[in-house]
Amino acid sequence: MTTTRQDHDPDEVILECAAVSRWFGGLQALKGIDLHIHRGEIFGLVGPNGSGKTTLVNAITGFYPPQQGEIRYRGERISGLKPHRIARKGVARTFQNVALFRGLSVLDNILLGRHLFMRPSILGAAFYWWWAEREEVAHRGRVEEVIDLLQLESVRDEPVDVIPLGMQKRVELARALCAEPGFLVLDEPMAGMNQEEKEYMVRFILDARDAMGTTMLLIEHHMDVVTAICNRAVVLNNGEKIAEGPTREAINDPTVVAAYIGRVKDAA
Amino acid sequence: MFYRQSGIHHTRYAATRKLWPLAADRRLLGGLLALALLAPLLLPELYLNSYLAPWLIWTAAALSLTLLMGIAGQLHFGFAAVMAIGAYTSIHLARAGVPFELALVGAGLAAALIGCVFGAAALRVKGLYLVMATLAMQYLVSWVIINVPAISGGAQATLATPEVRLLFIPLDGDTALYYTALGWTLSCTLLLLNIKRSSVGRALVAVRDKDFAAAVIGVDPLRYKLLAFFTSSFLGGVSGAILAFCYYQAVTPEQFGFNVSIQLVAMVLVGGLGSVIGAYLGAGFILLLPIVLTNLLAWVAGLELFPVSFNLIAHIPLMVYGALIIAVILFEPLGLAKIYDNIRKYFLVWPFRHAQR
Repeated sequence: MTTTRQDHDPDEVILECAAVSRWFGGLQALKGIDLHIHRGEIFGLVGPNGSGKTTLVNAITGFYPPQQGEIRYRGERISGLKPHRIARKGVARTFQNVALFRGLSVLDNILLGRHLFMRPSILGAAFYWWWAEREEVAHRGRVEEVIDLLQLESVRDEPVDVIPLGMQKRVELARALCAEPGFLVLDEPMAGMNQEEKEYMVRFILDARDAMGTTMLLIEHHMDVVTAICNRAVVLNNGEKIAEGPTREAINDPTVVAAYIGRVKDAA
Repeated sequence: MFYRQSGIHHTRYAATRKLWPLAADRRLLGGLLALALLAPLLLPELYLNSYLAPWLIWTAAALSLTLLMGIAGQLHFGFAAVMAIGAYTSIHLARAGVPFELALVGAGLAAALIGCVFGAAALRVKGLYLVMATLAMQYLVSWVIINVPAISGGAQATLATPEVRLLFIPLDGDTALYYTALGWTLSCTLLLLNIKRSSVGRALVAVRDKDFAAAVIGVDPLRYKLLAFFTSSFLGGVSGAILAFCYYQAVTPEQFGFNVSIQLVAMVLVGGLGSVIGAYLGAGFILLLPIVLTNLLAWVAGLELFPVSFNLIAHIPLMVYGALIIAVILFEPLGLAKIYDNIRKYFLVWPFRHAQR
C-alpha cells in the first residue's frame, strides 16, 4: 500500500545505531548492528525468534545498554542513559507483552503518557484546586485527542485489566503517543490479534504517523503487515544484520528466506 | 437507589474528576462531617477522648502508611518507629520553646529524613528484603530512643507533653485536643484523595505496578520511591506527634514498639490497600474491635452463667482479632473498603444486579 510512498526524509537521520553489541554472559545477542532510521519513516525490524530484535530495542530504550557501540537520537548519544532519561529525550515504546498499569483506569494509563509534560508534586496535589487541577484539565484535553484518534472513547473509564487484549494494545499505543515522541518503538503491536484487529491496528499506526509525524520502529512477525506499512526494513538473525533495504527486497533476500525456513538443499 | 447516576452529565473535564460526583455521597459525607464537628457536644468525655480521638489519629497514621504501602507499593514494617521519631522530636522541640506549629513541621521533617535514609534501601531491594530493611529500622530506632537518655529522658522514663498552643488556642481540655486530631486527619484525607487523582499519584501507582513501563514514559522509579518514603514518613511523623500530644499526652518508647508497627500494617491491610476509606475502616476495626470484645466478654462474665477467667477475657479478643484478619484477607483481599464498595454498588443498580461503572 505505502511501500512506494516516499514521504520520509532520507537526509534527516532520527536514530542511528553504530556497531552496537550486547552480550549476556557468553552469548552475544547483538553483533555490531548498524542502523539509520530516517525522519517520518516506519522502519521494520524482523527476524526469527531469538534473533535479537527485542534486545536491540532494549538497548535503544536503555534497559540493556550496549557494551560496545553507540546509539544516537537526533545526533545526540543516548546509549548509557537511564530509561527515563531516554524517554525524556523523546523516545517512546510499547511492549511485546502489554505493560499497562493494572491498578488504573484506561484514562489514567493514557494520562500517564503526559507525565513528561506535567510537574507532579505532593504540594501541587495538596493544593489541587488551585494548582494541579488546571494542569490536569489541560493535559486531559490532549489525551482526549489521542483517545479520539485511536477510538478508545467507549472504554475510557474501564479498569484497564478488564478490556480485551486488542484494546489493551491500543491503550498502550495511546499512552506512548501522548508523550508526543519523536521516535516510537512498537514491539509486536499485533501479536495475538485476529485479522480484523490487525487491520485496525495498522490503520491506527498509519493515522498516528500521519497525524503526529512520528518516526517508528516496528517489530512484527506478520510479514503482510511489515510489507504493507514499512518503508524500509532490517532483518536480524542470531544477532547479526543479514539484510537491509526497502521492505520487500529485504525480506525476499535469499539469506532471509534461508534464515526463516532453511535452505532448499537442507530439505529432506 | 440512593446512588442513581442518571442526570449527571459532565460538560467540563474538571467535573469528571470531582471527588464526590454523586449527590448521595456528598450528603452522607456532609452528615458525617457535621456529626464529627458536633461530637464534643453529643458525646460524653470518655467516648470522645478514649474512642473517637484515638480512632481519628490512628486513621491519620494508617493513611500515611497506605500512601506508602498501598499507593506506592513499598512495604514498611517499621512505621511505629517513624511515628516515634515524630513524637519525640515534637516533644523536645516544644519543650525547647519552639511554637507547636513549627514543632509539628520539625517532627515531620525529622521522621521524613530518617525514614528516607532507611527508604534509600528500598531503592535497591523489593518485597521481603524491604520488609527486613524496615524491620531493622524499627529495632534500630527503638534501641536508640531507649538507650540515649537525651532522647528518652533516661531508662524507663516517660516524657510528659508540655503545655502548647496551636494557632493561639491553648491545647488543653478534651475539645481542643479532639479538634486538633480531627483537623489533622481531615487534612491527611484530603491530601491522599488529591494525590490519588493527580499526576503524582498516577506516577506512584505506575512505579508500583510496573517500574520498567513507568521508566519508559519518563517516570524516574527511584525518585518516586524516595518521594513516597519522604511524604509518607512526614505524615507519619506528624501523626506520631499528634498522637503524643492529643492522646497519650506523654511518651514512652513502648508506645511505638514492633507490635504497633504490625498493628498499623494490619489496619492498612484489613482496611484495603491504598484506600482512603479503608484507612478509616481498618483503624476503627483494629482499634475498637478488641475493646468491644473485651466489654462484651466482661458482660458475659457478669451474667455468671459459666466461670470466665480473667485470662480468658484477656486472650479472646486477641484470638478473634487474629482470626478476623485472616478472614478478611482470605475472603476479601481488598479489605473492608471493598466490602463497602460492594454494598454501595449493590444500591447503585438496585433493584438490578449488574453494575456498570
